[in-house]
Amino acid sequence: MRRTRTIVAAASTITLALTLAACGSDGDPTDSEANGSAEVEPADITLWLNGSDTNEDLRTYLIDTFAAENEGSTLSIEEQDWSDVVPKLTTALPDAANTPDVVEIGNTQAATFTYAGAFREISPELYEELGGDNLLPSFVEAGAVDDKKFALPYYFGSRYMFYRADIWEEAGIEVPTTLEEFGDAVAELRTDDRSGFALGGQDWRNGISWVFANGGELAVKEGDQWVSTLSDPNTVAGLEQWQGVYESASNLPPTHTDEAYWDYFNDPEEGGEPEAATIMAPSWARWSIGDLVENDEGDMVRDGMVDDSTYDIFALPGVDGGVAPVFAGGSNLAVSAQSQHPELAENLLRIIYSEEYQTMLAEVGLGPANTEHTSVMATDKFGETAVAAAEASQLTPAAPGWAAVEGASVYEELFQKIAEGGDVTEIAAEYDEKITPMLNGQAG
Amino acid sequence: MSAVLTDTATVTPPGRVLLRRQRVRPGKVLLSVLGLVLALVWVFPVYWMMLSAVTPDAILGSVTPSFLPWNFTLSNLESVLTDSGFLNALGMSLMVTGLTIVLVLAFAFFAALAISRWRFRGRKSFILTVLFIQMLPAEGLFIAQYQMMSSLGLLNQVIGISALYVAMLIPFTVWMLRGFVAGVPIELEEAAMVDGLSRPRAFLRITFPLLAPGLIASGVYAFLQAWNEFTTALVILPAESAQTLPIWLRSFLSASANRGINWAEVMAASTLIAVPVIVFFLFVQGRMTSGLVSGAVKG
Amino acid sequence: MATTTTKSVGPDDIAIRRRRKPATPYILLIPAVAALLIGLGYPVYWQVVTSLQEYGLLQQFGAPPVFVGLDNFARVFTDSEVWFVVAKSVAFCLVNAALTVGIGLGLAVLMRAVHSWVRITMQITLLLAWATPLVAAVTVFRWLFDYRTGVVNWLLVQVGADGMGGYNWLGQAWTFFLVASFVVIWMSVPFVAMSIYAGLTQVSEEVLEAARIDGAGPRQILWQIIMPLVRPVIAIVLLLQIIWDLRVFAQIRLLQDAGAPISETNLLGNYIYQLGMGQQSFGGAAAVSLFVLVLTMVLSGPYVRYLMKEDAA
Repeated sequence: MRRTRTIVAAASTITLALTLAACGSDGDPTDSEANGSAEVEPADITLWLNGSDTNEDLRTYLIDTFAAENEGSTLSIEEQDWSDVVPKLTTALPDAANTPDVVEIGNTQAATFTYAGAFREISPELYEELGGDNLLPSFVEAGAVDDKKFALPYYFGSRYMFYRADIWEEAGIEVPTTLEEFGDAVAELRTDDRSGFALGGQDWRNGISWVFANGGELAVKEGDQWVSTLSDPNTVAGLEQWQGVYESASNLPPTHTDEAYWDYFNDPEEGGEPEAATIMAPSWARWSIGDLVENDEGDMVRDGMVDDSTYDIFALPGVDGGVAPVFAGGSNLAVSAQSQHPELAENLLRIIYSEEYQTMLAEVGLGPANTEHTSVMATDKFGETAVAAAEASQLTPAAPGWAAVEGASVYEELFQKIAEGGDVTEIAAEYDEKITPMLNGQAG
Repeated sequence: MSAVLTDTATVTPPGRVLLRRQRVRPGKVLLSVLGLVLALVWVFPVYWMMLSAVTPDAILGSVTPSFLPWNFTLSNLESVLTDSGFLNALGMSLMVTGLTIVLVLAFAFFAALAISRWRFRGRKSFILTVLFIQMLPAEGLFIAQYQMMSSLGLLNQVIGISALYVAMLIPFTVWMLRGFVAGVPIELEEAAMVDGLSRPRAFLRITFPLLAPGLIASGVYAFLQAWNEFTTALVILPAESAQTLPIWLRSFLSASANRGINWAEVMAASTLIAVPVIVFFLFVQGRMTSGLVSGAVKG
Repeated sequence: MATTTTKSVGPDDIAIRRRRKPATPYILLIPAVAALLIGLGYPVYWQVVTSLQEYGLLQQFGAPPVFVGLDNFARVFTDSEVWFVVAKSVAFCLVNAALTVGIGLGLAVLMRAVHSWVRITMQITLLLAWATPLVAAVTVFRWLFDYRTGVVNWLLVQVGADGMGGYNWLGQAWTFFLVASFVVIWMSVPFVAMSIYAGLTQVSEEVLEAARIDGAGPRQILWQIIMPLVRPVIAIVLLLQIIWDLRVFAQIRLLQDAGAPISETNLLGNYIYQLGMGQQSFGGAAAVSLFVLVLTMVLSGPYVRYLMKEDAA
């Protein structure tokens, strides 16, 4: 009795598995009809955005414009939580019936999904139409395999330093011009109750800027294999310099990650002194900083750093002056290989890469994908600094296994160990050994 | 001889017996004090959650915590209740939990009836399967669960996630109900049949009411599990409109983390999620305790 | 009394069996078996198949999976990190299960010994803790132990432990597990305490009175009369705690969100999740899952055998 039932069940699950395999097998991204002018069946397409960086106005614009330009079709936007993006994309993208049509993906995750065949190829014609070589090259590279483009840049957020001008001035410290001066300045500003520079130990996204500034690389491609290069002398020098800054200037625990630093930086709501004199954050952090004011809806919000004698910014200086190459936060956009409405999805890309939308991105401080429009940003000090930092910025390695490195929180751990005062050379060697196999996607 | 009848009778006696013997023993006073202290320790996190929910965030951040609601405010609760996602998630959670409880109790009850009233071939392997199946870690199953639900068109559907919860909860519930069913002597039912009732009627009139506490105790367990589950829900309910409360709370927490965590609002949200459970508990509390009495002993 | 009902089925049972069509129990099992098959059949089948394959992100996106036999298992068993995680998980599980049942038993005995209004107070507080949803509970604990604004550090400083100001509980593995244990124990003790208390109320006052008259001291009463009667309850709650504590996942994950050394604080559930979802090594994750299944069977083996013996009796 039981046995027969089990066999029936096994048989039906096998059919199920076969159907699933059949669905999944045509993931090969081929023929993309470039022109949007062709007759397209109206449909509802879905765009997944991560976090709340794309604000309400931008979303409304996309939805309205899409509906206006695509008669009978509609656009739905679903917001995903950054911490769940990978599991959700892993399950939903291969699923033709439920895949979102267009997805936002962290620039550091883009390479992994691109290699896996998750995305539809952006044809050379479409790529040209959307901006071509004007699109941020480092981001395009993260979403490309050889010459084929799959994921394009969405926005970048260059990181720069926010500092309490009042505190710095009181201490008589000038804005530094080299990376070393910066380290000395923030060390001097540190007290028992205040970080000179609030920096979490696990915050590698800010931390790798010191590696880049010292000419170091995290990983390089040798032949067709990726190799982790933490032990490279320049990388070690950068990590050691970062260790010094962390130890001498930050009161945050080594286990803290890149969180809401502005929480320490603003004047506390309940009164008292801020707990940080300097923080490093993406440009859009500006809107979480400043004095409390009441907005139109009656909520108390930060004013976006109106008072520049209290809140000000500068770009992280390089080792020999100038601007340090910081890590560029940001994300890519791609069309799912399984999208049932690729033409509509591409029409959505046309809207996103239009001058108007790119300008809107720039205006809210999200670095636009199309470098032609960065000039829109550079109208005030925030824009200028953002553009300067972005031009010098660098990305994490575009290795197929990079998302696995992130998924296992390896860099968090690496930086935590360095923050705890470990010997950098030893730690670097240990993690090189751990990371290299992961980079090439050998975990099966 | 009726186990449950004597059970319900023995729930109250200790109290009455105590009254009868009103000698004041110093040991008892000490133990009572200890009991109160422990009760205080256990309730503190809940108290803290509720207190913070009605305190302005600015006060919560201060160095010296206050342990009484001096700065009472409803604004945190208000801003959570006006969050568009909350009511939606509440509705979703209620539907998922409701459907899950009904199905789990019905299915598990039939199974419990089968294994406690009959000895049959395959009985032992069924019991063992049921025991062992709940030992499989759920964290490796997401891909398969997703593929399955997607191919059935049940993603983002109450019925899809409920089907997974039912499968997840059946083992424990069968196990728990088995004890109750075994505790109701078949003789009672047979006596009623002698009095002229048909078997189904005898079962409905006599046995079923005696099982009610057991069903409630198991229902409470299923309720908590379905209400709290969040990893499967994350994958099976990817759409924002299909979020359940735990998922919503987590995204509320991380959205809040972006601006610097507003603990007051997070605690208000936590409180609001806990309230339906507490109400449900208080509602069934009396019956549940007597349910645990009979269920637990037969294990 | 209650226990005897279950045990005294012997001859009756045969009579029952003969009276009814043997098909009835099978029909009654259909819904439960169907629900298990629908909900777990394909996932478990997938788990077994995948554990024998090289299955990563490429395969998830349509590349044909490669059959690799027991390679995944071999890799799992030779990976020292896996054994480290297993050791931590087993230790965490055993310590917490033992403490939970111990504290629950203590509370249950205490509830019997105190004034009735104290008992009711205790029951209500236990119910409140039990009713608090997991995400909410972890969030509260996370905040209670927050290094800057947590009450725990504040209280410690108040009682003179100045060094504890700003102490980061989640920063080291062992204090992290301490906090995690607080959450787990706090949440699971109510169920255990109420179940055992329910069992204790079955010990009739007359029996105890008789024992007292015979000159038995409180300790003897506890160990020689009460304990043997509630042992079946304790066995089952201990079994359930072992199963549940070995698969804690959400508590750890939600605490890690607050900033913690991740790989040092991963337990088996988190490790599997990270291996699968984080590193896209689904074959490896499936292999570890099946290993955990076997491990739980082994750990709970004695109890299962005990329960089956009770059942057969």
